[in-house]
Order: sequence, then C-alpha cells, then structure tokens
Amino acid sequence: MREITYAQAINEALRECMREDERIILLGEDIGKYGGIFQVTAGLLDEFGPKRVIDTPISEAGFVGASVGAALTGMRPVVEIMFIDFTTVCMDMIINQMAKMHYMFGGRGTVPMVLRVNIGAGRGAAAQHSQSFHNFFMHIPGLYVVVPSTPYDAKGLMIEAINNDNPVIFVEHKKLYAEKGPVPEESYSIPFGQAEIKREGKDLTIVATSAMTLRSLKAAQEIAGQGIEAEVIDLRTLTPLDKETVLNSVKKTGRLIVADESHKTCGVAAEISAFVAEEAIYYLNSPIVRVCSPDTPVPFSPPLEKAFIPDEQDILTAIRRVMEYS
Amino acid sequence: MATEVVIPMLGITVERGRIIEWAKKEGEQVKKGETLFIVETEKVTTEVESPVSGILAKILVPEGVEVPVLTVVGIITEPDEALPDKYRDVTVSSDMAETTAAQNAPERKERVRAVPAARRLAKEKGIDINALAGSGPDGTVLLKDVEAALEGQKTSDVKATFLASKVAREHDIPLEQVQGTGVHGRITREDVQRVIEGKKTPVEGEVIPFDSMRRAIARRMCESAFTAPHVYFFTDVCMDAVAELRLGIIPELEKNFGLRPSVNDILIKAVALNLREFPMLNATLKGEEIHIFPQINIGLAVALPAGLIVPAIANADRIGLVDIIRQRRELVEKARNGNLSMAEIERGTFTISSLAQYDITYFTAILNPPQSGILSVGKTRKELFMVDGQVRERKVATLGLSVDHRIVDGAVAADFLQHLKWRLERPFNMFFPF
Repeated sequence: MREITYAQAINEALRECMREDERIILLGEDIGKYGGIFQVTAGLLDEFGPKRVIDTPISEAGFVGASVGAALTGMRPVVEIMFIDFTTVCMDMIINQMAKMHYMFGGRGTVPMVLRVNIGAGRGAAAQHSQSFHNFFMHIPGLYVVVPSTPYDAKGLMIEAINNDNPVIFVEHKKLYAEKGPVPEESYSIPFGQAEIKREGKDLTIVATSAMTLRSLKAAQEIAGQGIEAEVIDLRTLTPLDKETVLNSVKKTGRLIVADESHKTCGVAAEISAFVAEEAIYYLNSPIVRVCSPDTPVPFSPPLEKAFIPDEQDILTAIRRVMEYS
Repeated sequence: MATEVVIPMLGITVERGRIIEWAKKEGEQVKKGETLFIVETEKVTTEVESPVSGILAKILVPEGVEVPVLTVVGIITEPDEALPDKYRDVTVSSDMAETTAAQNAPERKERVRAVPAARRLAKEKGIDINALAGSGPDGTVLLKDVEAALEGQKTSDVKATFLASKVAREHDIPLEQVQGTGVHGRITREDVQRVIEGKKTPVEGEVIPFDSMRRAIARRMCESAFTAPHVYFFTDVCMDAVAELRLGIIPELEKNFGLRPSVNDILIKAVALNLREFPMLNATLKGEEIHIFPQINIGLAVALPAGLIVPAIANADRIGLVDIIRQRRELVEKARNGNLSMAEIERGTFTISSLAQYDITYFTAILNPPQSGILSVGKTRKELFMVDGQVRERKVATLGLSVDHRIVDGAVAADFLQHLKWRLERPFNMFFPF
C-alpha cells in the first residue's frame, strides 16, 4: 500500500468528503491560500473555491459560533483552530453552544460539525502554542473526542467525524503531521469507540493516546529485548471510551501504564486509571503508573522542553517500575 | 537503616514464645525471606523469616528464653551500617521485653502490603494474606506469593524448611513421605524427626524427648487437670432415632450436596443447640470472672499419629447440617495434612471427644482449656429393654460430660446432659431446614 503522511491523510479525507457532499465547508485561519499552518488543507481552496474554503479573521469565537449556526441550519462545517491553545477564546461557543444545542432542543436540531485542533509540545512554540489539554473536552458531555495516532486512523476517523451528526473535537498532533504510514486510496471510516491493540503482549498494558502511542510502541519494542512483552492499546477516541478493550487487557496482564500528553493532574490518564481501579482493581498486580506531561506550563527553553515531554524513556521507567512487582 | 526483628503474633491467645534456634549467627549475612529463627509457642513451632536483607548485627534474645510476642529479638543492619548505640548494651529482662512489646504493638497491626490481585486470590482461596512473606518492593505480597502458598498447600513435599531438608538428607528420608505441620503445611525439622523415630519401634529403655506438640499436650493437660476441678456425669442415650434420621437423610444429602452425614455431625448440632440453653458450659474462667463465649464453636478431637488436635466448627448452633458436615470434613482433612490455621484450633468453646469407633463403653475426658465443658462419646451398643411388657432391642451409647466444677454446678451439668439426651432421642426437631 502507498504511504502518505498524517497531514496528507486528513487532507485526503476532507477532499473525498467535500467531493461527495457540497454541504461540507471549511473555516479557519490561513487555511485557504496558505493551506493551513500545518498544510492540512493545502490545495483545497483551488479545488473547492472560496465559498467552501473560508479564510477567517483572527476571531475564534466568531467563526466557531458562525459554524455552530451553519451546522444547525443544514451545513456540515469542518473548522480548524490553529492550536488547541486558542480554543480558550471560544470556549463558550464550544462548551455552551456546540455541545449543548442537540440536548437543549430535545433533539430537534443537530450540530454536525468537526472542530480540528492540534496538541503537542516539541516545536519550540512555548507555553501558549504547545499545550495538550484535549482532556478538557473529554470532560464535557455532548462532544465526541477523537485522537488519531496514525495516518490510517486519521483518515478513517476524519471521514467518520464528518459523517457523524454530532459535534466532534478532532485532536491532531503537531509531531505526527509528518509521520508516514500506509493509507488506502479509497474512502473508509473507523467507528468511534473502538480502541485498537497496536501491539499484543502478556506482561503489562500500556493505554496510550495520540503521539504517546508511537512512543509506547518504541518503548515496548525496546523492552521486548529483555523478555518483557508490553501490550499497547491506542484508544483512538476518548469519547466514546472503549473500556472493554482496556479492561480485558488489564485482566490479562495485571499491570497498567497510561501514557497521555495532557498534564498529569485531572488528565486523560487520571480518568483511565480511575475507571480501571473501579472496575478491575482485583486484577492488578502492581500500582497503576501514569506517564504524562508534568504540571507546569510548557517551557520554551529547548532542554527544558525536552525534559517536559513524556517520551520513550519515561515509558521505559514506568515499565521497569510496574515490572518490579513480578 | 537498622531493622528490628520481633517474634510475630502467632494467634490471638498466644502471648509468649521461645526461640529454640537461631538459624543465623551474629554478624552473619541474611537474605530477606530466609529463615532467621525458629520460635516455639504453646501451640505451634514455626520458622520466622527475615523481613529484610542485611547483617544480623545483634541477637537480643538468645535461644531458650521465653518472651512476649512482639518482643524485639534481634537487629538487622545494612551491610555498611554500624549497630545503633541504643541496641549496644541491651540485655534481656522481662521488663524490657514487656515495654518493647507494647511499643511495637500498634505498628504490627498495620495491614500487610499486598497488590489487589494477591488479595483477591487469597480471599478466594481462604489464605491469610498477613501470614505471607511478600517478595515485591517493600515486602509487598504479590500474586505469585499467594500462588506459591497455594502450591505449598497442595503439595507439602515441595515446601520444607532448610533444617528439615538437611536432616532429611542426612537420614536419607524422601521429603514426599513427610507430613508437614508448619505454616501452610511446610515440613519442619520435627516432622522429619517424627518420621525418623517412627521408622523404629520404641524399645525398652529408650528415651524419647518431647517434641513441641507433645510438650503442648502435656502442659495443657496438666494445666487443666490440676487447675480445674473436674466432675463427671454419664447417661445412656437411645441412638435409634439418630440412626434412623441419618439413614433417612443420607440419600437426599448425597444427591444434592455430595455429602454423607455422620453420627458426629448430628451430635455436634445437638450439642450446639443445647449450649444455647446452657451458656455456663460455653464459658471460661478468667480470674474471678466467668466469661461466656460470644459464639458456639464445637471442637472435635482428632487423633493424629503425633498427638491430639482439636479443630472447631464455627457457629455450629447457627449453621445448617450441610455446613456442619462441610466444615467437619474440611477441618479433619486439614488436621491430617497439618495445615489447620491457628484460628481453627483456637476458636473452640466446647469440645466433643469420641471413641465410638473403639470398644470403649464410656470414658472420662479432661477439659480442653480454657473451656468449661467436654462431652465424651462411647461406642453405640445394642441392649435389651422392656416396653409394654415386651423385650425389645435398641441401640444405646453412653455419653459422658466433664465440667469445670468451679463454674458449673452438678445440677446444671446434669440438666445439660438430660436435655442433650432428650434432643438426641427426638432429633427430627433439630434439623429443619438443613
């Protein structure tokens, strides 16, 4: 199969869907002429024209609000927020409008809208352009939250997100855009709520999200040399959460590491750890260990930023810790 | 950091212990989990494992001295660590032992560290997790530790103390042939010794030293016989109704539960119900107070080659016959395999001792301290009796009751025995529902 990048896979999903359904429009800052800050929407203005690929002013609350209205009245907007950091200026539109309409109108009105954001430190973009607070959206009922880790998953999940009649937060990762992987040319979708076991193992379970999946796979590969077989589960969607796959794996291995790039306190890993403790504690052979970003702003200083980012080494440390109990 | 080693709690009524052997010398290296010393109490002799790895820097309590449980008996230091000053000039005195025990007591009440999966398995299999030595970080009990304990229960041949293995090797005795009586059926040196001695028939002029079981039996029997004034009562009980009841329920119990009731099971139930009406026979004397036991747990004397042991059926007055049979079977099995827990031995509040399988008409029994009553059961025999001028045959057993006359008066004891006789002759009233 041909290999394309994560950014190209999302671009392809948008293109294929836009060709089939003219209700799909794109809004965002610099997504048209410039092709988006990470080139995810490159070439789409040329093919679909300025009525469907709209460069907006720097006014997130304005264009997210406009998109909620458009979605309610029959369009299917896909909106890019340049960095997840900027969702804070349109939180009212996301949390109080986009996520609530369907519920508050008793189902007589839907918001079939995708909000594309990206997370991840590691580009020297400092504290306001490097955050990973996708966990905020997992906390809010009424939103689907998608965290693809591979080009294949990115395309399939984007097509599913566009076809879904509910608002979806589509969480991309800055450090993944250039990662290549096999992606079919035809259209396909991946259902929400289906985690994928990306590596099977019997000794411990690593539940990972987004870029942490790749880092976990590398760590698992390395530790396999010492006879330790880690199972790596990529959640793929945070909402809905595939608890069953996680629980079955933990029941098999008895050890759990959760790897997620949001801050440790009240992060995604906290939630995963909590439900496993609630539902499967008597299968655990060791403490649960979380590998997350520390509870500090993302540093600008390159050595500090490197220390900040949870990576393979942190996962290996966690693996050694849980394997002490064996 | 220096680690204090104590004589562990070995059961609720065990207050003192005597180290009969230190497995390590002062200054010797010891690994965590290795046997550090062997402690003997009235009820068990057990090996105590080292809680940490290090150097046995100081032995505070030498072999042969009896001290309260939780007394600090030794200090283990890290390899480069000097013995802290406060232990340097310590000598054993009972005063110090008492204070140390008191200081350590609350600390020892902490739950053992165990991973949840280990707790679950231990609970499912009825293993006391607090009795296990953990092999995880900070002594955490891991799943595999519980699995190992289970394995040890199943095959006593694999679990043996190092002394036992050594003695067995010296005498060329395969460990598979030795019945373990240590923690979780572990084979102790004494178990091997018993086999060695069992190989030869005692001969004239031979001197046989006490082992700890014989010592405990001797001490307890003396304590009972010379402390509690015994008084004995006998009565003949017609066993026809019990026999009839038993035969009547056998098919249903076998079909539904796969259990076969014995006369003893019915006897246990009858005695337990009787004790409800006579709490003074389910009591113990403490100083000048009579303490009525909160539960009715019937001990059943089980004769083993090494001596007598009395595990008790818990709450025999409240549980059904099926549960009595189950508990009885399990306890007798465990007694034979040497893996009764302390609780199962200690919880008895009244004892039944039966020699019904021998040609013994009746006998007097010595109270099992701290209890105040024991029932002795002789063989069931046939006898002729008169009814409406006709000679008939019936089955009769003579039951004997021994009581502590300090707290049970003769009339009360007689009344108890008469009530028991009444119940046993009309047993159908007792058992519904099963």
